[in-house]
Amino acid sequence: MTIRLRTRAHVFWRCLFLQAAWNRRGMQNLGFAYAIEPALDALYEDPVRREEALARHLGFFNCHPYMAAAILGGAIHHEERVAAGEEPGAAPLSYKATLQGPLAAVGDGFFWTALRPFFGAMAALGALVAGWPAVVAAVLLYNLVHFTLRAVLFGAGYRQGDAVVGVIANLALPRVAEHLRSAGVALCGAAAAAVALRASGVAPGTENAAVLVVAAAAGAGYLALAKGTPLFPAAYLVALSGTIMAAVTGWDGRP
Amino acid sequence: MGYLLLGIVAGLAAVERKGFLQAMLSRPIALAPLTGLVLGDVAGGLAVAAPLELLWLGAVNLGAALPVHEALGTVAVAGGAVLAGQALGTGVTPALAVLALLAGAPMALLGRRADRLVEQGNERLALFAEEALRRHHPHVAVRLNLAGLAMPFAIAAVLAPAGALVASTLAVWVVRAAPQLDGPLRVGWWAFCGLACAAGARALRARRAGAIFSVSAAAALLLGMVLRVSP
Repeated sequence: MTIRLRTRAHVFWRCLFLQAAWNRRGMQNLGFAYAIEPALDALYEDPVRREEALARHLGFFNCHPYMAAAILGGAIHHEERVAAGEEPGAAPLSYKATLQGPLAAVGDGFFWTALRPFFGAMAALGALVAGWPAVVAAVLLYNLVHFTLRAVLFGAGYRQGDAVVGVIANLALPRVAEHLRSAGVALCGAAAAAVALRASGVAPGTENAAVLVVAAAAGAGYLALAKGTPLFPAAYLVALSGTIMAAVTGWDGRP
Repeated sequence: MGYLLLGIVAGLAAVERKGFLQAMLSRPIALAPLTGLVLGDVAGGLAVAAPLELLWLGAVNLGAALPVHEALGTVAVAGGAVLAGQALGTGVTPALAVLALLAGAPMALLGRRADRLVEQGNERLALFAEEALRRHHPHVAVRLNLAGLAMPFAIAAVLAPAGALVASTLAVWVVRAAPQLDGPLRVGWWAFCGLACAAGARALRARRAGAIFSVSAAAALLLGMVLRVSP
């Protein structure tokens, strides 16, 4: 027996709520069970077998929320075989247990520490240079990439089961992530320049001083953060010292 | 009315941030202009969006780690700045932005503490779900997942407007009491923006990040100056 496209779409929609009840005991367990429920309803007419299936998906689960789509698709793939008597009931659990850790690492490394910060930096630079249309464009572009990958992973997991690992490996996400991180840093540098130009622009006659303030804050801030200074104290220190310095020297940013 | 709208926006952002979707809508770069929009000043929200996004670029949920609640902090800062700008009739100025930041940003830390409470509440939900399944109520069990969205919504809906109220009140008071600080506060804001860019570059953890950051900043500055002086 196979699951209809409509049911799979329902499961995909529900997987957007994967972390709704994230907790330290079972982590995404409740979210996973909630997401896969429509598929289990379709596969198991016998209420006892349906409850057994649901119970096994209420166990511990934790993965990156986007990458979990691949595991969800694969779990349905295995549940179809369990329902047909071709696999033991433990097969979907074994699949989940094997993949959740590695895919969490790949997802964290690609989406959370590379793709999203890259688009965040792009949107920030866009906001400074071109205003809100650039922000809208960056967010839309991010979601085009994000939802496409999420849907592709879900479909690949469903169709190919364990072979989804090969599909993910072919995407070469860690290598792409490296490039995105470097490009993101460059965007942050360009944003610092945009801030300096803005600062000098609002105070004609004090261009050099404004640029120096931004450059000094960025440079000293970078070094301090690299040495392990916590972010919040650094932010307060820089904002207050800039204010105090200007008040003491009598420079108020005006011509 | 403004605070009610702020509460709704903050609550929805808190839900989007972890429990549902995670489509960047709760990131400061999107949330600050949205906050400005519901208060009637998109440009004011946008003025603080970029530095807040860069400041909190590294605020991500990695495994079981709890980052600062950047969405709560953003609504408090952006809301505070916009409300102060409206109260003074000036719009969001750099001076108001930095004052709102200093007063509102701690909401992001408070939000992280609140996230721990949410996790504890969700743990109870998971236990209820297991119990419901034992009693043969599978549909009830899985639908408890959605109940997990209520607590982050409620907490953010209360804390964010409170943070915005504190931030706007402080900003208005300081600017009225010491108008001579307007210039120095402006300098403080630009200095903070510089640090935020550095924080963004650090958060990306790229190889040779320091060199890339310096070179790209210098090149972009040069380009900007050339474009500015050319007719």
